[in-house]
Amino acid sequence: MTKMLEVVNLKTHFYTDKEIIPSVDGVSFTIDKGQTTAIVGESGCGKSVTSYSIMRLVDSPGKIVDGEVIFEGKDLTKISEKEMRSIRGNDISMIFQEPLSSLNPVVKIGKQLNETLILHQKLTKKMAKQRSIEMLNKVGLPRADKIYESYPHELSGGMRQRVMIAMALACSPKLLIADEPTTALDVTIQAQILKLMKGLRDDFDTSILLITHDLGVVAEIADKVIVMYSGQVVEEADVFSLFANPRHPYTKGLLNSTPHLDDEKDDLEPIKGNVPSPANRPTGCSFHPRCPYVKAICRQESPNLTSLGDSNKVRCWLYEENQEELFYAENIGR
Amino acid sequence: MWKYLFMRLLQIPPVLFIVTIMIFVLVYIAGDPVATMLPADASPEEIAQFRHALGFDQPFYVQFGNYILDLIRGDFGESYQYGTSALGLVLERLPATLELATASMVIAILIAIPLGIISAVKPNTVIDFFATSFSVLGKAIPNFWLGIMLILVFSVTLKVLPVSGTGSYAHIVLPAITLGTAMSAEITRLVRSSMLEILHQDYIRTARSKGLKYSAVVIKHAFKNSLVPVITITFLQAAALVGGSLITEMIFAWPGLGQLIIQAVYAKDLPIIQAAVFVTASMIIFINILTDIMYRVLDPRIKFI
Repeated sequence: MTKMLEVVNLKTHFYTDKEIIPSVDGVSFTIDKGQTTAIVGESGCGKSVTSYSIMRLVDSPGKIVDGEVIFEGKDLTKISEKEMRSIRGNDISMIFQEPLSSLNPVVKIGKQLNETLILHQKLTKKMAKQRSIEMLNKVGLPRADKIYESYPHELSGGMRQRVMIAMALACSPKLLIADEPTTALDVTIQAQILKLMKGLRDDFDTSILLITHDLGVVAEIADKVIVMYSGQVVEEADVFSLFANPRHPYTKGLLNSTPHLDDEKDDLEPIKGNVPSPANRPTGCSFHPRCPYVKAICRQESPNLTSLGDSNKVRCWLYEENQEELFYAENIGR
Repeated sequence: MWKYLFMRLLQIPPVLFIVTIMIFVLVYIAGDPVATMLPADASPEEIAQFRHALGFDQPFYVQFGNYILDLIRGDFGESYQYGTSALGLVLERLPATLELATASMVIAILIAIPLGIISAVKPNTVIDFFATSFSVLGKAIPNFWLGIMLILVFSVTLKVLPVSGTGSYAHIVLPAITLGTAMSAEITRLVRSSMLEILHQDYIRTARSKGLKYSAVVIKHAFKNSLVPVITITFLQAAALVGGSLITEMIFAWPGLGQLIIQAVYAKDLPIIQAAVFVTASMIIFINILTDIMYRVLDPRIKFI
């Protein structure tokens, strides 16, 4: 499988008057061509900041301090702002969580759509209009020419997110970053949007990086899953092994705290405690205060992201110490 | 839109009617001007005769009734000082005032909008510090002081601009700067604060994620959103100017409404005061309607009801 994007040891820190907040603290992963990679994690784990870092849209006081983002042989953290602009919206585009506030309230939908096309594809206004209406049709909006002339507040939430998707896909990007695209929508619309994204991914041959906290969405659309906790990747696995056989205690906790229809238990098992503040992470493994399997070493030293033989990886002392033994226990001992 | 406009226009006559009642009552309370108009040694008979001639000896309701009837005919009476139509005198002065108001507005906007935008885009930098200091100073410096200082520097010392009066474009520069400074200070602050807020909105991030230049994001996406509050304040300021700026017009001997009003107040020239207040009130109502229409045009979320 060919790599679309490779993130290597990315560190994005926020500099406040009092302290340095390492929101993203050494994140590495790859996104393969035509695949959907999901980043999951609780609020504040650094998943959105990771996606903004890829686009270089982190606002001051945030700053990418280290690491590489390799896209088509270029390190996006090093190229000029001008070069970066030619990639944004063209090769890599983005959709956001809140479709109402993400569209400019005083600019017509059509004009907002045209903008990208005129900028990157050098279309004339007339050609851009034609293409925009075509895109609006593609994302399943009825009466596209009427929507073209509308303002964002005149559309419903689901329609606005469809417009955002049309806008993001207008230049047929190679990578689409979707930051919680369905969080603000109700469940039926969520399902429609996910179905639409899947269909368009196949039509346009676009890779997707999906940021979400919703494991249901992950199961629906993702090929590969990256679990983030406290600014770091704690587990990386293909979607089937993640749900069938979660490795990291945090991933297990996440899955246990999700309701299942066929479950006989009445109560969910939430993960005890809270996500530590990024400015004040515990020593050792940052999950140790909440971990049911905590050992002495977890409190002192941070584990590495270890490969588990297959393409899956986990950052946990449980797997690092006696990898072979555990591997045996997991795979043969059962 | 047309229905809305029609409804707004319907509101004008009642508002103006209330304004006229207030003008009349206030002037009535202030007392009749006869004593100041006649020489100090006038006999009581002469005073009585004069009061009778002007109608001040009649009861309140008769005076009020006559006033309203005249008003409906567009007659504010004759100026005591000049003996000609008060409304005519006011309208004669209006163009000069509007000219000065327009010039000050243009100066204020030309300074305030770029300065406000730049200081919002580069907060906490030298230029932002300069812009903020300018707004504080501009607001704090009194007009009369600034006017006199400008005259001292540009007319007396450098001799590049006329001291006062009218007649050429050069004459309007100093009074327009005097009036425009305070206005631009206010508008700069507003542009800065509303732009600062807007630059953190989600749709700005969307615009940047499209690959637009930051300057295009600021102008095409952010600035248009900041216009509603800015237009509101700018027009409110304009409304304050159309009544004539008393102090500035006096300093620069600008033959506008402000000067006329001050002279009329000294002379207790009631018809002129009444006509001037009436004309000013009409202008302010008109500007308010214009403001409402403007921001409905600028922000499609505001509906015409």
